[in-house]
Amino acid sequence: MISNPAKFCPGCGHPIVLMMLDKVLTDLGLRDKAILGLDIGCSLLAWNYLGLNTFQTHHGRVTPTVVGYKRAKPDSISIGYTGDGGAYAIGIQNLIHAARRDEPVIILVVNNTVYAMTGGQTAPTTLQNQKTTTSPEGVLEVPFFGPELLKNIAHEDAFIARTTVNDPKTCQEYIKKAIETQKAGHFACVEFLSMCPTNWKTKGSDTLNFLENMSTVFKLGEL
Amino acid sequence: MFKLLLAGDGGQGIQLLSNIICESAFEKGLEVTHIPNYGLEQRGGVSLAFIKIDDNKIVYPKFTTPDLMLVMSDQARERVENHFGEKQEVLDIKDFKETLVGKGIISRSYNIFFLGKIFKILLEKELIDINFAKNYLKNKLSSKPGFEDNLKALEFGFKL
Amino acid sequence: MDNNKKFITGAEVAVQACIDAGAEMMYGYPITPGTEVFTGWIGGGNKYLQTEDEIAAGFSVCGAVMAGQKTFTATAGPGHTLMQDGFSMAEGMRLPFVSIVAQRGGPSSGTVIYSQQEVTLACFGGNGEGMRIVYSPSSLEEVYLQTRLAFNYAWKYRFPSVLLTDGYMLKTRGVVDLDQFKDLENIDSYPLIKEGEVKHWRNIYTFEEELYEELEKQKKDFEKVRDEISEAEEFETTDAEVIVIAHGLVASASKQAIIELRNDNKKIGLWRPITLRPLDDKSLNKVVKGKKKILFIESSMGQCAKLVKDELDPIISIEMEYLYKPAVGIGVDEIKEFINKNI
Repeated sequence: MISNPAKFCPGCGHPIVLMMLDKVLTDLGLRDKAILGLDIGCSLLAWNYLGLNTFQTHHGRVTPTVVGYKRAKPDSISIGYTGDGGAYAIGIQNLIHAARRDEPVIILVVNNTVYAMTGGQTAPTTLQNQKTTTSPEGVLEVPFFGPELLKNIAHEDAFIARTTVNDPKTCQEYIKKAIETQKAGHFACVEFLSMCPTNWKTKGSDTLNFLENMSTVFKLGEL
Repeated sequence: MFKLLLAGDGGQGIQLLSNIICESAFEKGLEVTHIPNYGLEQRGGVSLAFIKIDDNKIVYPKFTTPDLMLVMSDQARERVENHFGEKQEVLDIKDFKETLVGKGIISRSYNIFFLGKIFKILLEKELIDINFAKNYLKNKLSSKPGFEDNLKALEFGFKL
Repeated sequence: MDNNKKFITGAEVAVQACIDAGAEMMYGYPITPGTEVFTGWIGGGNKYLQTEDEIAAGFSVCGAVMAGQKTFTATAGPGHTLMQDGFSMAEGMRLPFVSIVAQRGGPSSGTVIYSQQEVTLACFGGNGEGMRIVYSPSSLEEVYLQTRLAFNYAWKYRFPSVLLTDGYMLKTRGVVDLDQFKDLENIDSYPLIKEGEVKHWRNIYTFEEELYEELEKQKKDFEKVRDEISEAEEFETTDAEVIVIAHGLVASASKQAIIELRNDNKKIGLWRPITLRPLDDKSLNKVVKGKKKILFIESSMGQCAKLVKDELDPIISIEMEYLYKPAVGIGVDEIKEFINKNI
């Protein structure tokens, strides 16, 4: 159920993830219980997109904010929605500690390899040799593997997984599992490989190729 | 002092227009300021350009009421509501849509059509170096698709 | 056309100033409207690192200047808030930290566009006494000049320095002649931690009295900075009955308004702080003495006015009016209207 028209670019992966989230919450009858926290970046455009309660936060800080909300309202389904920059750069510390403490929140990370809203700067998940406005010669470092890192820290009953917007069925499945995990009192983090043709400067099938290439670097599946 | 406010959807070529106008006025030895304004979203928002051209140094780049207003979409018109005023020339797409369609000007060239009209106005006021402007435009557009369409639109705008 | 003139943005001017100042390194993080300073610096082939956040950027600058490298960062809004962590360490440890701050609407994420709402943060952010040098440029030329001065004075006096500008200034393309500054000299950087010497740089003290003494010493140094470099513009103030006090772009618009009102024989003047910290209190008190009214005009709810009122001679009793437009620009006509209502 959409509240307002989308401000996402044509070809963006965000609407896919959000639609899947919306569908799962509807199917499970959990719309009223759900709270969606947003980070800064393109994720903030979701603030009035779905017919759910939402709040914006600061860059990298959606995790501790939903932690606070969930602890105050334990019967909520508390979901944090962020990008790769918010999750793995400025917010990595908060994410690590939420996992370590097994906070019963869901963090959904939409990974499009760039800081998109500010115009396509390098992010932790930018691929090696990928060029951005702050790595004009191409990135040298190996990209950041968030779910893999969290798996080392999280409780054994936490749900950590990665999928791709190209596979909406698995997106739904993982969101459902994340909700079940929260209900069982544990931490969940799902990374979604996503598209940003605007900043990748790709058209048509090149965008899909880029996305498919991403899944050879970032392994799909439950960790 | 001459004030222009150009408004359109992102992607309609507002910033291209403002670049040409500003560089051409600067080339003529005038003082120019240009300040763009966008929404948060990377695509689909309103793109604004506030331009001031003057003989004297310009101290403040923004203004409320332009002398010339360009409106290229409904969304943009809503956004610049507070900038309409008296003694103002308004070029609004809604007033030209029929004529443009009738003349076979494609929508991708609408901004260039309006540029033609703006060139005429600025030329009369001696605010641009027209040869520089034409060359600048040619350089920017010749490598892009639809160059012929753009030239057609420019001439039509200039003559209309 | 004058070949010395360029048609460039405030961000490009700032980047050129950093290059001409001999800056070697920039630590940055993307945040609107400061990102173009970062990408402009990078595009010029200069050394940089994009850090994980503004906190890391701030502390990396601290480390770099201790090693003697002329280094700076650029940020805005919420990033400016985070940068205060490193910046206040620079204040406590007397490090030559240079920062370019593009004010945007606040608090929180506010807008990505413009404001004058980070004056308090730039002047008194962190948990200290505001011993930092803060410039507020009112034109593209001043963006250039004051960035150069920020580097020079950070290294000469070892107080962290800010070029406090805004999103309008950095995004405006305007005509600017930078050749006029070609003879401006640079003050060299030098390593604060030297090989062959053993020095211990602290920012924590065991006893209250130790810190108190340290702060008293710093205060003396800061007052010396005030004497030597604090600056203000006194525009048409001598015979004025009413004085406008404004800074940055708002001051430019105010100046234009005053020029036009003077044509109608209205006796208005402008007192413009160029350094917000340390404020040129001598100039301020000289100018306002005997005047009927002060008009504070700014794009915040009085952050500059608070700063100024704090430095007014306690003897001065003067009527004050305020045009506070937080987060929005204030144009010439609006200022004229406000002044006319108050004379």
